[in-house]
Amino acid sequence: MKPEKINRIALVLLSAAALGLPLVVRSATYLHILVLLYFYAYLTTCWNLVGGFAGVLPLGHAAFVGIGAYTSTILSLQYGVSPWLGMIVGGLLAAGVGILIGLPTFKLRGAYFALATIAFSEGLRVMVENIDRLGPFTINGPRGLQIPPLDTGLTNFMFAGKEPYYYSILVMLAGVLFLTYRISRSKLGYALNAGGEEPEAAMALGIDVARTKLIAMALSSFLTALAGTFYAQFTLYIHPKSIISLDLSFEIAFIALIGGRGSIAGPVLGALLLRPVSDFSRIYFGDTLPGMHLIIFGVVLILVMNFQPRGLQEPLTRLYQKVVNRLFHWGALEAAR
Amino acid sequence: MIYMIEDTINGILMGSIYGLTALGLTIIFGVLKVINFAHGSLLMVGMYAAYWAVALTGLHPYLTLVLVVPVMFVFGYYLQDIVIQPIFRAEKNVREPITVIIVTTGVWYILDNLTLLVFGPHYRTIQVNPLRGRMLEIGGLMISVPKLWGFVSAMVAAAAVYVFLQRTRMGRAIRATSLDRDAASLMGINPYKVYNVAFGIGTATAGIAAVTLVPFYNVFPTVGVLFDIKGFIIVVLGGLGSIGGAILGGIIIGLIESVGPQFMTATWTEAIVYGLFLLVLFVKPAGLFGVKYDW
Amino acid sequence: MKILDVREMTKTFGGLTAVDGLGIEIETGQILGLIGPNGAGKSTAFNCIAGVFPPTGGEIYFNGEKINGVKPWTLCRKGLERTFQIVKPFASKSVLYNVMVGAFAVTDKTAEAEAEALAVLKSLHFESRKDVRAGNLTIADRKRLEIARALATRPKILLLDEVMAGLRPAEVDEMVAIIKELRDRGITIFVIEHIMRAIMALSDRIVVIHFGRKIAEGTPDAVASDENVIKAYLGEEYVVS
Repeated sequence: MKPEKINRIALVLLSAAALGLPLVVRSATYLHILVLLYFYAYLTTCWNLVGGFAGVLPLGHAAFVGIGAYTSTILSLQYGVSPWLGMIVGGLLAAGVGILIGLPTFKLRGAYFALATIAFSEGLRVMVENIDRLGPFTINGPRGLQIPPLDTGLTNFMFAGKEPYYYSILVMLAGVLFLTYRISRSKLGYALNAGGEEPEAAMALGIDVARTKLIAMALSSFLTALAGTFYAQFTLYIHPKSIISLDLSFEIAFIALIGGRGSIAGPVLGALLLRPVSDFSRIYFGDTLPGMHLIIFGVVLILVMNFQPRGLQEPLTRLYQKVVNRLFHWGALEAAR
Repeated sequence: MIYMIEDTINGILMGSIYGLTALGLTIIFGVLKVINFAHGSLLMVGMYAAYWAVALTGLHPYLTLVLVVPVMFVFGYYLQDIVIQPIFRAEKNVREPITVIIVTTGVWYILDNLTLLVFGPHYRTIQVNPLRGRMLEIGGLMISVPKLWGFVSAMVAAAAVYVFLQRTRMGRAIRATSLDRDAASLMGINPYKVYNVAFGIGTATAGIAAVTLVPFYNVFPTVGVLFDIKGFIIVVLGGLGSIGGAILGGIIIGLIESVGPQFMTATWTEAIVYGLFLLVLFVKPAGLFGVKYDW
Repeated sequence: MKILDVREMTKTFGGLTAVDGLGIEIETGQILGLIGPNGAGKSTAFNCIAGVFPPTGGEIYFNGEKINGVKPWTLCRKGLERTFQIVKPFASKSVLYNVMVGAFAVTDKTAEAEAEALAVLKSLHFESRKDVRAGNLTIADRKRLEIARALATRPKILLLDEVMAGLRPAEVDEMVAIIKELRDRGITIFVIEHIMRAIMALSDRIVVIHFGRKIAEGTPDAVASDENVIKAYLGEEYVVS
């Protein structure tokens, strides 16, 4: 078997496993955990477009989740607009905001961009917490918005069971992974990587570095906001503290760095490794040892950055490659016999 | 009118303490070129250290300085030496290593949650507190005594750090490293040692801030977060890396927070602080006081 | 035809005048060398022309078009390309990846960029290293990578900033041969160099600057025997009057 063929088979098997998982996992709790795992993998993949490829450090992506969630929820609750449409509106709004943050800061050193994203996200949270009504829109301040589970069905993006949510986020994740893959092999991907690594050299080679970063930022914030709508429809309740939180922004960054930023598999790997830690430590230590999972996150992060600064994706890819090569040689031997 | 003056004075005093909390942040950024996200947590550690020193020995709160500051220096020195430095070495060729920034957030999460595990979420205040609620009355103006002392220690600490950087051999080594790490190491300066010392000094200043806060501020595991975000805003307002700027930036924030509520609800002043921060970032990123530090 | 025409270019940093009324003309297809003692302003002049920062005064014309303050990425698309004295490879990426970044300046399609990059690597006898991480290359290969990357953008004029510094003599000879080959392909070359042997062998004309001013210009032989040049390099006392 050729390595490419093995890769393709592995991908098919993985997809089949992901598609079939709800048939095996019947517990609503575990399905919920899986949905959140994909949700985080999706968010981190979006984050990776800027934080990985463009080589800057966004630390306020929760703001875009919030923009997406609030936009579609307000539109559907108060104007009867389908969440699917609201999702796009929220995405566009988030993209605009992303550009506004990037425009002045991408020309400065990286620290400024990181700080600007934090300040924007925290500022947005404070605003939302303090505003009950903004013009014609009801925001409800710190109490948040509740979505009454009335009309379930695809058009309303609302379902009775967990399975449809599972498949929705799975499709979204697959879509954004495919997009990332395509970008990484396109002119934009090369320009982003080059500009992130050696901006001066990239500029001399015809790349308008600040502009490519802006494109990545717009794309990343647009896609992140889509997940915000998903989250709102999944939990049916959003409030500023939970959704526009610094903890969410940081967790995304942690997952990306531990998994391996700048790679396609990294964010998914990171989510696979870290989300169970946080879910299970919340279930088992939640009452006795609050914050246990955050300590584990911190320690894992420091260890991984120490021994694998490019993330766990690197050694795991090497391992996988080794296995594939083995299979390949073994196959060749069989054929020769 | 009298309230206005009182609020203004109070704002300046509290603001200078904010400046003091941000002093270490600006020192560490100036030398290591890294935003230390764990700085608020270091402040929190300092506050617990001061709290326990008072609770166990019954010392006057300000006397705990002799204990807290050296302990914090050593803590910062070895935190950088053991946890952060290896990552610096791994990313030697990167001008602004993102991994190091993220590692400091890891330190933040570990410190805050370890404290939560060990000491619980309770708010603590020192019991033996000769300064509790002490006010100074000048012509009808009520001024908080512990905040006044905080102002004094902020000024003294900023001046001391400045003199240290200008006059001492180590201070010169630190400045040389901050200007050009590679050139400094060619001159026989060990940059990693300098990083350790700078981190130690930054942490020690957080210790000073902690001691001045403890007499009138609650101690709890996430107390640092409040000062962390404020600290980022302050150092950008004042110009990243500038010592005087940190104090002035702090005073601006303090003024907005204390005078603002005259005109709006207190929570809105917080939004204004963020707005001002973003505005400065967009319009004058070198900071309000014009020191262009690209070191 | 003059491909590059620099007139009265001045660059000051605060009170310091790094380049002072410098005039340089390059004919299409020429190799022009720019030399001068350390700190003469060579790199500053280069950076002004390459768009890193705009000159304080004077004009720069490229193919008859004024390019004062035009950004580096726009210059690249117009056909003016430069390399860096301190090489800046995309270290975590392969050699092929590095060159493809350059090739994307002339195409939007990945397959075309890859073909172009491979062709460039082949022309520099470099294709055997295409899968090596740029960070793992030797210094000579890194310099070669700089040139390959620049070449992939299909420049009309190439500004080479000390591409031979740090090379061994045999490697210098190889590099001289490569640069001559590029000129034969029709690329105009503007080169800063410290290694006299190389620049004498290479250049059609040489401009010598000292303290930001031009002190001599001409063929290699003429420049080498110029009294001002000898003074600038060796100091007054070495000149027998």
